[in-house]
Amino acid sequence: MEITVKKDSGITVICPNGRIDTSTAKNFEEGIMKAIPDNHQIIISFLETSYISSAGLRVILVAGKKIAAMNGQLALAEMSDKILEVFKMSGFDKILKIYPTFEDAKSSFNR
Amino acid sequence: MLLNVKNDIREIDRVFTCVKEFCCTNGISEKKCFDILIIIDELATNIISYAFNDGQEHTFTIMIEKENEMVHVQLSDAGIPFDPLKGTEPNTDASLESRKVGGLGIFFVKQLSHFMSYERVKNRNQLDVLVSLEEEE
Repeated sequence: MEITVKKDSGITVICPNGRIDTSTAKNFEEGIMKAIPDNHQIIISFLETSYISSAGLRVILVAGKKIAAMNGQLALAEMSDKILEVFKMSGFDKILKIYPTFEDAKSSFNR
Repeated sequence: MLLNVKNDIREIDRVFTCVKEFCCTNGISEKKCFDILIIIDELATNIISYAFNDGQEHTFTIMIEKENEMVHVQLSDAGIPFDPLKGTEPNTDASLESRKVGGLGIFFVKQLSHFMSYERVKNRNQLDVLVSLEEEE
């Protein structure tokens, strides 16, 4: 798995590419945690993510808690049906903001 | 298919490749293959992370078989006794602030499988999981 981090209209966009499992979750966590102190407005795009396990969800939950504690905003976007299903199964769809498209996620941020 | 897997997290990559190959050979849909990958990944990761605490190299087995409209997965390890069916389930209705980190792996396996059973057989943990191949809407 590789992570690309870019800026779009003042929002940090994190794109994990490939599989997020126990063997890659640490790398994913480092990528997110490094981005949070700079900017509390974050989108994670799952467009290039092929798989996520509980290890990946754990990282997102920790990041979500941290961003919320800083009064920031976290939006998740562009999930495949199967990845969305994993989020729904865990109940994370009720506590995190999930948007179908990148544009939807972007327009959800307070300006 | 029988896989011999070492208690090393780098083995997960090879497990993924073998499970995908198994699904492909047996004409299992991509959606079902995703579920089977989650089940095997979560269970194998648990064994690799927690079953052995002596710092030594150990090998455990993952058996996968297609039986009519079911896939039978069996994991067997000689690690410390652990019945994954006995854990508490995560509260999927908790708020972001109060939601606990962890406990999701086994919960996913339970959600995605049709049947699960655990037995301690000759000093080994043996976990059997059946996954239905019927596609639900």
